[in-house]
Amino acid sequence: MAANPMVQFNVYRIGPEIKFGNIDLSFTNASLFMLISASIITVFLYFSTKNKRLIPSKIQLISELLYNFVAKMISDTAGTKAKPYFPFIFSLFVFILVCNMVGMLPYSFTVTSHIIVTLVMALFIFIAVTIIGFLKHGLKYLSIFVPSGVPVVLLPLITIIEIISYLSRPVSLSVRLFANMMAGHTMLKVFGGFVISLGLVGGWLPLSFSVALTGLEILVAFLQAYVFAILTCIYLNDALNLHH
Amino acid sequence: MKLSIFTLIALILGQSRIIAAEAGMPQLNPEYWLSQSFWLVIVFIALYVLIAKFFIPKIKLSIGDRERKIKDDLDEANKLKKISEDKIAEYEKLILENKNKLIKISNDTKKKLDLDIQKKRKAIETQIQNELDKAQIEINNLKKESLTSIEQVAEDIASKVVEDLTNEKINQSSVKAIVSSTSKKRIGSLL
Repeated sequence: MAANPMVQFNVYRIGPEIKFGNIDLSFTNASLFMLISASIITVFLYFSTKNKRLIPSKIQLISELLYNFVAKMISDTAGTKAKPYFPFIFSLFVFILVCNMVGMLPYSFTVTSHIIVTLVMALFIFIAVTIIGFLKHGLKYLSIFVPSGVPVVLLPLITIIEIISYLSRPVSLSVRLFANMMAGHTMLKVFGGFVISLGLVGGWLPLSFSVALTGLEILVAFLQAYVFAILTCIYLNDALNLHH
Repeated sequence: MKLSIFTLIALILGQSRIIAAEAGMPQLNPEYWLSQSFWLVIVFIALYVLIAKFFIPKIKLSIGDRERKIKDDLDEANKLKKISEDKIAEYEKLILENKNKLIKISNDTKKKLDLDIQKKRKAIETQIQNELDKAQIEINNLKKESLTSIEQVAEDIASKVVEDLTNEKINQSSVKAIVSSTSKKRIGSLL
């Protein structure tokens, strides 16, 4: 058994090696679990939208609740202008949520516990939001760094802080999700190891901890997907509705 | 400048490989970073296209249909409610109108009956009065007649009595005058 709690995060190649020159694009267990998560979403959405009924079936109700949940989240944080980005936010939220939840299954792999995955998503959002901001407002978008109602003396300092905080958005966004996932799963693994090593005599305490932590981690899995999506909405709001 | 950035990145990558090896964090091992990014992009784009093109329109349609149906039903209910309220108002108006009509008819009938009764009573009263008058005249006539015949009888008796007593024919006119004045004195008071 793997005593090292970090072994669960190992990425290894599945199937043949796919290489373009020096670039290794091989299919890995991470790719597999991305695919599994996407397939779960697709199958779920397929069956939940298959029979459109006036009085929804249970599965149809879930997808409609999900739709309304994301729609409300977007309209609350970014207003009506963000409507065209609804499919993206919806996909993002559902994908992260399902990846996190699939990661909760024993022997599975948590896609979102890898910094590179969350960083790619965060960077894409950061760049896209910045482009949207400049497309909508031109150079006036730079005024996001200059809050109104700030004393002139403090203005240079505030502006620098604003720029730093803007540039650190992708980092904070990606690290938040990655760190939460990694820490949670590491902790679960550690407590799981304690159960084994303490055996029948002393293993009950870490086992009960493990059970409690599993509940907590499911909550975290949902919460982090929600936080990721809602922060995306907030960044989008900054780009769409420029006012300070 | 460019070179130094590259060396820095290479250094960080190299360093991270060491860190990964030391701390055992596979996340910091850049071996499959490109592969993970590549597959993430592929899978996510595929998922996004599926969701944006197929699933969201379907869910939207379903929710929209339901909202439209609810709105239509509510509109229909409001319309029906208005119709029923109108009907009730109409019904109440009708009842009030008929009530007034009824009161009017009752009053009219009462008045008419009163009038009729009065008319009839008057007619009967007039008739009775006429009858009374007629009877009075008849009585008076009878009285007069009987008076005249009484005077005649009295004259006859008087002249007969005087003739029998005296054996003399008396003047008829003087007898008549005496009887007349006596009867006027005695019977006249009765008339």
